[in-house]
Amino acid sequence: QEAAKYDKKVMVLDFVTPTPLGTSWGLGGTCVNVGCIPKKLMHQAALLGQALQDARKFGWQFTEEVKHSWMTMTESVQNYIGSLNWGYRVALREKKVTYENAYGEFVGPHTVKATNKRGIEKLYTAKRFLIATGERPRYLGIPGDKEYCISSDDLFSLPYCPGKTLVVGASYVALECAGFLAGLGLDVTVMVRSILLRGFDQDIANKIGEYMEEHGIKFIKQFVPIKVEQIEEGTPGRLKVTAQSAVGNEIIEGEYNTVLLAIGRDACTRKIGLDKVGVKINEKTGKIPVNDEEQTNVPYIYAIGDILQDKLELTPVAIQAGRLLVQRLYGGATTKCDYVNVPTTVFTPLEYGACGYSEERAVEEFGEENIEVYHSYFWPLEWTVPSRDNNKCYAKIICNIKDNERVIGFHVLGPNAGEVTQGFAAAIKCGVTKEQLDGTIGIHPVCAEV
Amino acid sequence: MGWEEKQARGYGEFAEIAQRCHGRPIFALFCGDKDAAGRSWCPDCVTAEPIVRKELHNMPDGSVFIYCLVGDRTYWKDPNNEFRKNLKLTGVPTLLKYGTPQKLVEEECFKAELVRMLFTED
Repeated sequence: QEAAKYDKKVMVLDFVTPTPLGTSWGLGGTCVNVGCIPKKLMHQAALLGQALQDARKFGWQFTEEVKHSWMTMTESVQNYIGSLNWGYRVALREKKVTYENAYGEFVGPHTVKATNKRGIEKLYTAKRFLIATGERPRYLGIPGDKEYCISSDDLFSLPYCPGKTLVVGASYVALECAGFLAGLGLDVTVMVRSILLRGFDQDIANKIGEYMEEHGIKFIKQFVPIKVEQIEEGTPGRLKVTAQSAVGNEIIEGEYNTVLLAIGRDACTRKIGLDKVGVKINEKTGKIPVNDEEQTNVPYIYAIGDILQDKLELTPVAIQAGRLLVQRLYGGATTKCDYVNVPTTVFTPLEYGACGYSEERAVEEFGEENIEVYHSYFWPLEWTVPSRDNNKCYAKIICNIKDNERVIGFHVLGPNAGEVTQGFAAAIKCGVTKEQLDGTIGIHPVCAEV
Repeated sequence: MGWEEKQARGYGEFAEIAQRCHGRPIFALFCGDKDAAGRSWCPDCVTAEPIVRKELHNMPDGSVFIYCLVGDRTYWKDPNNEFRKNLKLTGVPTLLKYGTPQKLVEEECFKAELVRMLFTED
């Protein structure tokens, strides 16, 4: 849409290869269809369940037991997503961007072949190309994985309640899904091979895991599934999972209605003909290395988003990179995308917002003697009356002593962590120091004042 | 087989027709009532109607096109009217594909390209 503003002739090729179970979706990419949007809505559904429990302590009187309907929630979420898909179609049309629901692959210099779902092929040429094909969930490569397991691609439109679920993985996807499924009242177990939330501050990752365990989510640590078999067909059916210890020879078995794989995502760069035009990719990870202007080794081909090597996999980062790229190409701008100090939030039952360095990375980069960590537990006022946990919410900032105690890392664990973090991210971008934070009077009574 | 048009006045008639045609693609255009001389109180509806009608031949075979008059201006302005409540309509004219989130509202209905897209998309 940005390029069309500069009167360029633009075409978008978007195609979703269905999952092993046949799930597919409309225009908008992962975030809209099988990522951030449905995830946050289902997380909200789970939070509302908790709020209903708290409500009685605040005086609301209702005698009926409160139950949850998976179908009602999923239908509403999918309906909203459908309106977003349609909204994008209308927006592209209005801005005169040509859209084809077809699988694009390079067949030669400046040329792509687009194959639609009926198998009809068309060839297109263009002066420049932008690759933003994203990633798809990885499968384990064990017997029964593709036939019986689901991934996040299937979960958000699953036409039946998943029931007793085994979540395999320790990524934020795994923990967020385990979190809201349990919040909706389902029996959830998480099987992890080693640590939780690799790449995130481990002190906080452990606190998140502890909170989830205390709230009914079972963890099977240091095991990996080696076989998934079907005991009974159904919606959901019954599956038997056999797992082996990652540190020994012990074998365990378990029975579940649904097995959700969330062990990682792989870039969609292997089958789009990049070899035909000479675009180099990292053979091991499939990611594309680019310079700081998002250009690949082939000058007329650019790339943005999750497929980039060594860059953050976040929707707003990709959007920003894309807009700035077009403004540089056609608008004479020079601004490059700033990948530093990008705030993120993990929507686990106890939400986690962060911006900047984790404690481990800060120590690694600056040395333990040069950083100072200020931290505090806090008890949200809203949690007091319903007697919810009084020592779980936590905030910490990491400061660089040598640079005026500039805040280089911000971490908060508690309700609305995303909303809290956004403002602090702006402050960090401006180079806020501990003294300035101390000098800022807090809003009371809110969690963010800590 | 082509397509057929049905006319409805008010929400009750619309809902009844939609239910009877369940299973077929249903498209509906909602406009303000017309006076004795055939002019609607809604000027945008007057503009949109011929544009929409010109694209009707693009609807898939077996489609039903429901032309629905919603009522007079006072009824429409009531924030609790049945169209707002049950179909979540926010303005007239509205052209929509029944049972999906696909719709075009007000000036969007003036664009033949968008109307065509609504009729031919899956």
